[in-house]
Amino acid sequence: MDALLKLDTHLENRHAQLKALKDHGRKIIGFTAGGYFPEELALACDAEAICFIEAGNNTALMNAGGYTCRWFDPFWRSQIAYLTSGKDPYYNIADLIVVPVTDNHVRNFSNVLGYFTPEKESFVFGVPHVKDKIALDYYLKGITRLRNRLEEFTGKEITDARLKQSIDLCNRERELFRQISLLRKSGEYFIQGRDFIKLNHGSYLADKEFMIDILEMYLREIKETACHPKGGPSLLLTGSTLAHGDSKVMDIIEECGGNTVVEEFAECIRPYHETVDTEGNLMKNLAESYFMKRVCPGWFRPGTERLNLLIKLAKEYNVDGLIWYQLMFRESYKVESFFFPQMLKKEAGIPMFVVESEYDAMEAGPMRTRIETFIETIKR
Amino acid sequence: MKGYYDDLFRLCGFEDEEINSERSRIKATLEKLELGPEDMERADAWVREYHDISLAGVRKLLGAWLKELIDLVLAKEEGKKIVYFGFPAILGPGLMLSASSKDVFVSAPDMVLDHTMGQIFNKLTPILEAGEANGLPPGHAMCSLWQAKVGGVAKGIIPVPDFALASSYYCDMGSKADDLVTALYGTPIAYIDGIMDSKWGEFPGFLPDRVEYLGAQINQALKMGEEALGIKIAPDAWEISRESSRPFRDNLVRLVDLMKADPVPVSIVELELLEALSGSSTGRGIREGVKAMDILVKELDKRVRAGVGVTEKGAPRVMVRLGHTSDPRVTRVIEDAGLAVPLTFILGSFGGVRVEPKGAYNTPGEIIANYEMTGGYYHGTDAQIQFYEKATQIMNLDGFIAQYLYNCRPVATISHAQRRYLEEKTGLPVLSLEIDNFDSRTHSADSLRTKVETFAEMLRARKRSASQIDFI
Repeated sequence: MDALLKLDTHLENRHAQLKALKDHGRKIIGFTAGGYFPEELALACDAEAICFIEAGNNTALMNAGGYTCRWFDPFWRSQIAYLTSGKDPYYNIADLIVVPVTDNHVRNFSNVLGYFTPEKESFVFGVPHVKDKIALDYYLKGITRLRNRLEEFTGKEITDARLKQSIDLCNRERELFRQISLLRKSGEYFIQGRDFIKLNHGSYLADKEFMIDILEMYLREIKETACHPKGGPSLLLTGSTLAHGDSKVMDIIEECGGNTVVEEFAECIRPYHETVDTEGNLMKNLAESYFMKRVCPGWFRPGTERLNLLIKLAKEYNVDGLIWYQLMFRESYKVESFFFPQMLKKEAGIPMFVVESEYDAMEAGPMRTRIETFIETIKR
Repeated sequence: MKGYYDDLFRLCGFEDEEINSERSRIKATLEKLELGPEDMERADAWVREYHDISLAGVRKLLGAWLKELIDLVLAKEEGKKIVYFGFPAILGPGLMLSASSKDVFVSAPDMVLDHTMGQIFNKLTPILEAGEANGLPPGHAMCSLWQAKVGGVAKGIIPVPDFALASSYYCDMGSKADDLVTALYGTPIAYIDGIMDSKWGEFPGFLPDRVEYLGAQINQALKMGEEALGIKIAPDAWEISRESSRPFRDNLVRLVDLMKADPVPVSIVELELLEALSGSSTGRGIREGVKAMDILVKELDKRVRAGVGVTEKGAPRVMVRLGHTSDPRVTRVIEDAGLAVPLTFILGSFGGVRVEPKGAYNTPGEIIANYEMTGGYYHGTDAQIQFYEKATQIMNLDGFIAQYLYNCRPVATISHAQRRYLEEKTGLPVLSLEIDNFDSRTHSADSLRTKVETFAEMLRARKRSASQIDFI
């Protein structure tokens, strides 16, 4: 796919491009994964927004050991390692790090950021764990404080006109992701799971307008390409986080003949199902879309909305099985993985299978055997 | 007619008439718990070895826990509506529900199981294993307190609750495990949500938004409680609950004051029984706890006047986060190494650092939330660490054993920062110690002994050398 090649080239040069922009006074806003940072706010004050999505390397976890104990999710320990290393290009280039605090794994990162790297400018705001009017108000107050901080930090006022323009841009991106994803539902087009993930990861680092061009190009290419649906079982892949650099589970699934047709992750995969309304109070619209309408991650209480979505996706995408990618010590997801298989079997009639990861290379062998066996089982 | 359990219950502070009047309830409870004569013998030896039974107040305290256990185990059969809350807890909502109806039993059942099946009967393991088999597996750093709760319900030894108050203001695990209980048994939950989103260094400041949010969540949970339990919260429930727990708090303040003595008059093992009771019971446990404390305060006062203590006079004094809830051996390791423990984090919140909330709020939820934000425990990590720092002068400390619970993320996040912070701010040595405060199977007394003994030796040497320098 030319679109993917073009994206690769852009990302290779992206850091240099950001450096040049920074040298010319543009502010770089780094934000942590989770989908609760409205990028529109950064774009509306003419800043560049990049998300910290790198993980998957076990060495990073060892380095994180100087700042935290090991009983946290490896993705967030990786972020601690990259933050404190002083060597990560994206953490280094960010002028301001924004942390929407969700669960205690993110809070742990926020603590390290505040205590061990006080020289880094940061802004922390909280995301409630329940959905109601009070929670929506709290989130809205949080992103309003963020808006004020960004205005102050960049020296640019976020006008309604600029904000609307940014929302339109981000809506277009979400719309394109949705269109691409929905093509997989029909079974008429073949989109490799890893390509969809790659587009997602790219969108967290790439220039927004460039990314939209890439997505449009990709969509055209897919529609023009002769259809070659893969014969293997269709799978739904889910979990808390699917980071850039953490390709092991996806690689093994595809090598074993599985075909990931839909995925659901809260971190490092963009929530693309909802768009933001551009009429009325735009800040309220952002809060509505980013907090209320978005299907909640696994740390939400209760987590039933997400579990119901998984059942819906399983049915709509007509999958043969669900693979639950569990990062070690992310307890919210682990608890749900105990009682969800019965729900899934009852509601969608498909089996679920859990694989766990601590980003250790040694996992690959046993993970392959287990995934291979699962795929063989559901083939029959 | 004498029962096989009489001697143990007497050892645990029950009067003969109490045993006789409760005999049928005791029998029914022990049957449910599958505790027979052999268990009583083992418990007798265990209590004598690891608790300071020379103090009548301690024996009464053990009895208070047993009474809470009996009420818990039989609550359903006795027609009560049952509410469970998570530990650590913002206690107000539970106390208010409890104060509003005699037909409602409100408790933290995991803590009750830890302090009775662990501290008295030394038989917690099968319950923990049942928790592991029912959704909270080993090897994933799951909360062992929750393993006890889920295991207790799964084994049928504690009843399925009618309503749950989830501690969504603190940990993720608790609320998710409440979800698990709902998935398995259909229990309705009120998630009391809060967000610990303060930036490092913000404490003692906080945004009013946080009080308003947490306060509204508490008020909302109370409404849900009314609906789920079919009760009406009394208009004066907040005042009643504050008033009913006041003697307990006042006594804790007096006890903490006595712990300023050198030598410290009692083991932290016994004070843990108290601090935990105040955070676990809303009913008979608290009332009986107050009686026990009245006795204990007098006994300890005598010890202080006589210069009697559990460690040598002049022993290095360390503050710990908290004592072990189910296995007294783990806490004893510290005192066995010759260290005096005058204060824990939780005790300190009663008698150590004063909490004086500012701001005027009218609803119970906001008043509670304002207190909690000012106190710091549910504010953020730096607030918790500052708590240790402030205790240094109050208790004349020589060091800290800064435990962190590996399987409790809100506490585990403190692991590295607290050591560096306290060393820098106080100049005192800090032992950062990974523990499981609720389950001693992996983090046993023996696994911690070498670290604690080495630290104790270092503190003694430091104290010796400081006194020599003073002399010179």
